[in-house]
Amino acid sequence: MDRGPPPPRIFILEPASGVPIYRQLMDQVRRLVASGHLAPGAELPSVREVASEYTVNPTTISKAYGLLELEGLVQRNRGKPMTIAPLRRNQQALAQRLRQVEAQVDSLVLAARQLDLEAAELIALIEQKMQEET
Amino acid sequence: MMDSGNAGGAPANNPSVKGPSVDGSAANGSPVISLRDVGKVIGGKTILSDISVDIEPGSIVGLLGKNGAGKTSLIDVMLGFSPPSSGSSRVFGENSFELPAAAKRRIGFVPQQDELLDSLTGAQQLALNAALHPAWDQALIARLIGEWEVPLDRRIQVLSGGERQKLATLLALGHEPDLLVLDEPASSLDPVARRQFLRELLDIAESPTRTVLFSTHIVSDLERVASKVWIIRDGRLAWAGDLDTLKESVVRVTLLARDAWPSQLDIDGVISRRDEGRRVQLVLTGWREERQREMAERWGAEVSVERLGLEEIFLELHS
Repeated sequence: MDRGPPPPRIFILEPASGVPIYRQLMDQVRRLVASGHLAPGAELPSVREVASEYTVNPTTISKAYGLLELEGLVQRNRGKPMTIAPLRRNQQALAQRLRQVEAQVDSLVLAARQLDLEAAELIALIEQKMQEET
Repeated sequence: MMDSGNAGGAPANNPSVKGPSVDGSAANGSPVISLRDVGKVIGGKTILSDISVDIEPGSIVGLLGKNGAGKTSLIDVMLGFSPPSSGSSRVFGENSFELPAAAKRRIGFVPQQDELLDSLTGAQQLALNAALHPAWDQALIARLIGEWEVPLDRRIQVLSGGERQKLATLLALGHEPDLLVLDEPASSLDPVARRQFLRELLDIAESPTRTVLFSTHIVSDLERVASKVWIIRDGRLAWAGDLDTLKESVVRVTLLARDAWPSQLDIDGVISRRDEGRRVQLVLTGWREERQREMAERWGAEVSVERLGLEEIFLELHS
């Protein structure tokens, strides 16, 4: 039963709220990630730890973690605590964002072919421009 | 039991019945308790009607109802203390009213009125129960005696209500039952003891084969630890399903229109309606996120949605 010191209370769960506990937890993980309080690779307390610390049913906690995993925000690690996923892991969101620039890329590729530019030369230019931006 | 059973409730959202498990035991997926069309009539008075519901292993079910709604009668029928007037009740796949001894040994029950022996001390009562159960977990009991501060050296007749309740609960936990049923378990406990007790319920149900059902009118306890909630009203189940789903399903919607509202709104699942001029407030069941936009477009109204805690949902179902 000795599990070391209790984890810090990083969540605020209100069982009496009209918002189910799993939704409260999902919203808070999302917010903590968006604000940078939980960085990629940060460990999440286990389902058991959260359920015990807040005296709430573990089913609703594991439901939250499962849905966050489906979203790509957290990842399950064999035999280790769940962690916040690397940002690029959010494949679906990445694909969606790439689709937004696809038309511009198409015209860029067309122009590059007409000018006999190699892909590597074009990519080098894009990288240079993007570094200037930031 | 004061209520008659003919008032209609919101449709119960019965969990689906899973098939029997491969090895034939009730431990792996098949319901621990299965009620089908259960009715109970005592002295011409309907106490329970049309109750069909299952409990899956590993769940914590909170049974919620007003005084006299039928909570204790339902537990009596489930555990076979009295036969249903109609329908069937099964525990571990066996007829509740003819439970074999082996099935009874897998049940722990704490009645609303404890059955402690007043002339014994707590220690003597515990020793008596331990002797009756071959699989008594003395280490668990010793731990809980310490954590819950259960007095052992005084006669039971001088114990407080809360102390009696703790002792009675210990007696039901010692043989590590697969099914633990508690009728108003925490009613006499102070907040600290209640929290410790709730932790213990969570520990028990952590095992996927162990199941807890407790009746209560303390909504906040139920909201913490129950995964399923049954709301019983006038002897009928007004809701049986996930607590999370209940909270997502029942919401208060406020519609603000340019003009007055017609007296008949063609909306499904209205539990209650309040009108204040151009503003109409509805409590709805069967809510889905899309309905907010649908309603706004249909009536050209401003639609705001408020989520309700279990206490408010309970009150709305009884309004």
